[in-house]
Amino acid sequence: MQQQGSKSGSEMEVTWEDQQNINTFSRLNNRFHDLDDEIKSAKEKCDNLEDAGNELILADEEMVRFQIGEVFAHLPRDEVETRIEEMKEATCKSLEKLEEEKVSVVSQMSALKKVLYAKFKDSINLEED
Amino acid sequence: MSSSSPSGSGGELTERRGIPAAKFIQDVETYLSQSGLDPNSALAFHQERLQQYKVVEMKLLAQQRDLQAKIPDIEKCLEVVATLEARKGTGEALLADFEVSEGIYSRACIEDTDSVCLWLGANVMLEYSCDEATALLKNNLENAKASLEVLVADLQFLRDQVTVTQVTIARVYNWDVHQRRVKQVTPTAIAAADS
Repeated sequence: MQQQGSKSGSEMEVTWEDQQNINTFSRLNNRFHDLDDEIKSAKEKCDNLEDAGNELILADEEMVRFQIGEVFAHLPRDEVETRIEEMKEATCKSLEKLEEEKVSVVSQMSALKKVLYAKFKDSINLEED
Repeated sequence: MSSSSPSGSGGELTERRGIPAAKFIQDVETYLSQSGLDPNSALAFHQERLQQYKVVEMKLLAQQRDLQAKIPDIEKCLEVVATLEARKGTGEALLADFEVSEGIYSRACIEDTDSVCLWLGANVMLEYSCDEATALLKNNLENAKASLEVLVADLQFLRDQVTVTQVTIARVYNWDVHQRRVKQVTPTAIAAADS
């Protein structure tokens, strides 16, 4: 009996919808890595500002050198304290937003993973190498 | 920029700012018979496309890095001008330590002033009033941010095309492997049936 060309595991139909899911997953994965980097640098900035604030409290000079742009301007301590507080708040807020976005991206990615693995099983690999 | 070929099955763009879109293939067999290509030629064509996409990606990533460095620079300039403007009314001079050379700093006494000089590039520096300088810098910042947005969208489009091309290569390859396997099995099956 002639063997018909059976649909083995390597012959899988890929629809446009599947392709779009794969594209979306790829975009989300890239965004995830970018977010990781951004969160890391935002955390670092937050820590630095925290340290700067603490140093300021310990220091007893009246005029503090505060970096604006490329120069260190001599500013009164209170002004510097205010500026550091503002910068800390802004950085912490943006850090929060980034963390939120990361959570959303991760959940979208796991939803897509479920869909794609259901259709393609072993024929697709969505893990980090 | 006009698109010459009809759009893919998803109704998507056929190209974006000079980057050709990768056409999505509904069925590998139909695609190969329509284009008259054998699997190896098709694979070679798509591999080459992939390389071209990678080259464009490198270029765009470099542009993105430049813009991402430029934006904080402009923001720093804005901060300095804002500080000088805030001091305008008070009449006090601003003392600032600036870098003369690597590791060497000197003190500058910046008097109350109405104008600043902005480095425009190409060895040109112009004097502006504080308001004009702020307006110019803000404009530059907006333009840089807008360019970055467009660039990021370009990169996303490009990455989508890369993904489509990679999937196409995998499918053509798998189809080819499958065909060879079927051809191998069929003659032996016929021989067994005949005997």
